[in-house]
Amino acid sequence: MFAHIYLYRLKCIVRDKQVVFWTLLFPILLAVLFEMAFSNITKGEVFKEIKIAVVDNEAFRKDIHFQEALKAVSTEADGSRLFDIRYASKEDCINLLKDGEIEGYIYCENGIHLEIKNNGLNETIIKSFLDDYQQTAATLQTVMAQNPEAMQKGLIDEIAKRKDYLKEVAASHSEPDTVVHYFYTLLAMACMYGSFWGLKEIYAIQGNQSAQGARVCAAPTQKMRAFAASLLAAVTAQAAIILIVLLFLIFALGVDFGNRLAYVVLTCLVGTVAGVTYGTFISILSHKSEGIKVGTLIGTTMLFSFLAGMMYDGMKLIINNNVPILGYLNPVNLIADSFYALYFYSGTTHYSLNLMILAAMAVVFGLITFLVLRRQKYASL
Amino acid sequence: MVIKVENLVKRYGDLIALDHFNMELHEGEVLGLLGPNGSGKTTAINCILSLLKYDKGNIEIFGKPMSPDAYDIKRDIGIIMQNVAVFEELTVYENTDYFCGLYVTDKKKRRALVDEAIEFVGLKDFKKFYPKKLSGGLLRRLNIACGIAHKPKLIILDEPTVAVDPQSRNNILEGILRLNKEGASIVYTSHYMEEVEQICSRIIIMDKGKTIAAGTKDELKSMIKAVEKVTVEVYQPNEGVLTGIRSLNNVISAEFDGEMLVVKCGKGSHNLMMILEHLKANDILFGKVYSEPPTLNDVFLEITGKELRD
Repeated sequence: MFAHIYLYRLKCIVRDKQVVFWTLLFPILLAVLFEMAFSNITKGEVFKEIKIAVVDNEAFRKDIHFQEALKAVSTEADGSRLFDIRYASKEDCINLLKDGEIEGYIYCENGIHLEIKNNGLNETIIKSFLDDYQQTAATLQTVMAQNPEAMQKGLIDEIAKRKDYLKEVAASHSEPDTVVHYFYTLLAMACMYGSFWGLKEIYAIQGNQSAQGARVCAAPTQKMRAFAASLLAAVTAQAAIILIVLLFLIFALGVDFGNRLAYVVLTCLVGTVAGVTYGTFISILSHKSEGIKVGTLIGTTMLFSFLAGMMYDGMKLIINNNVPILGYLNPVNLIADSFYALYFYSGTTHYSLNLMILAAMAVVFGLITFLVLRRQKYASL
Repeated sequence: MVIKVENLVKRYGDLIALDHFNMELHEGEVLGLLGPNGSGKTTAINCILSLLKYDKGNIEIFGKPMSPDAYDIKRDIGIIMQNVAVFEELTVYENTDYFCGLYVTDKKKRRALVDEAIEFVGLKDFKKFYPKKLSGGLLRRLNIACGIAHKPKLIILDEPTVAVDPQSRNNILEGILRLNKEGASIVYTSHYMEEVEQICSRIIIMDKGKTIAAGTKDELKSMIKAVEKVTVEVYQPNEGVLTGIRSLNNVISAEFDGEMLVVKCGKGSHNLMMILEHLKANDILFGKVYSEPPTLNDVFLEITGKELRD
């Protein structure tokens, strides 16, 4: 009996084109749109070497240290370099700047000078480089004049050394990526769309919600068994859908979920159960029409997604700073934050907390559904 | 006794849907529950099936008290709902198999039962069709197949012919009689008196949640004074004609329905001749003439003072 109901409910779910669209195709389409929108943002952040020119005059040729410094920043190291330098006469440099082929040119004449056409980020970088070089050179000259012994003790290396004490790195050893959060909330939203299946299954077995449900209730079938089979069918279908969406995000769009995929899949499964039971919960409590219930599910899921930062990533921070409890009551946030925790943190404390709260939510939704379903007679049909 | 309902009371707030309703269904009977919309027929059925809570009363099926978890009783009941209760995503075969599977777990046995039910309702050529591809009549037949595939001893049909074309309606009614011949006891609710007259061996007429009359159709018709309805087309209808007719012996009532003079007569012979002779004698021109025995509507009208289809 259980297998009979399970298999037929699974057939009903898989053949429901409308809900399959919302649960499978809609998140995929939205992910593609996100990819199109965010790929431009990340492209804008890619650093491109700055084109500059240096006047190849007598003073420059004599300044070996400066030549060495320029060489250091215009040679590719780790696949990137700061400047793309051309060496030319002053007239040519002026023309190159005028034609917009370079951001600025440097010339040595009683010191090092910079000529630029506009003020912008690249011009600031060139100027910062020159200031840094001149400051270091002046320091060395002073040390050499006042304390030449110090030079023997490796002071030059110490002064010239540039060290970053901060490095952006994900503790899970994943490449840091700020836009993944959008995809995480999208997948979390897709998990919660499992609520449509939950609603459908309650509709199919509740005598006061549909004629089909009344027929099931009139049959010699234990209602709880019918519910368990229907619920399992909904979870199976939604889990399969979520895995397809997850694979699409990883392999087609290249979204990075870190290197702990087993935990990611576990999150998807718990999120799916939470989504499906959320649908059964809304469906069993409300006596409104199916359309109103679907509207309620769409509306609340979109609100959860918005509060989790799907439309504006700053929202998550606002919630965390002002009403942190809301973050813990929002299933979409819990799912997305679990992905986030797996991606950015090496430990699992934060992740486990999220997952436990999510699982508890699923249990509460399921328990309430169970308690209401247990009632076998209706006041009205 | 297949069904015994005693003093069933069901309230929706202040509205009394069933008011000490009583009903008995004997083995092999086709019992008709006849009443206008809102008379409590479907509520009674839902209470009998233990789908609805009721305030008072006793319900026994096959001699045992009915309850939601009386699975041994439910196993022998087939239900055909007023609304078509099938899944859009399943084919004709799958729908029948799904609902049959709630009663019969043996796959082999079930396959044979499902095939038999589909053939019974004449949907053999539509096995792989989805419900949305079926006409209204075929959909109703599928609804019936889903309710009878497990070969129940008791079949409850709640207005199964609503919005069905005449051909499909006849097909459904013939099918019900065949099911009865095969041994099923049947409860049939409808507000179509012709259907109830056609197939039911006993009839309960309901109004406002109460039984207002019960018996065979002849017993019901004998309960009322009028035993013959004479209808005459009169070319110049006027109050004088009515006064004359009403003064005749055996005439219970006389009314004009447009140009049609409708006369209800009590027990007696030659009522028609008597009326026609009166019209001739008074030089009243008349055309078509009909004489018919009373209908269940007349029974309902005489008992409640209103039309069955109001």
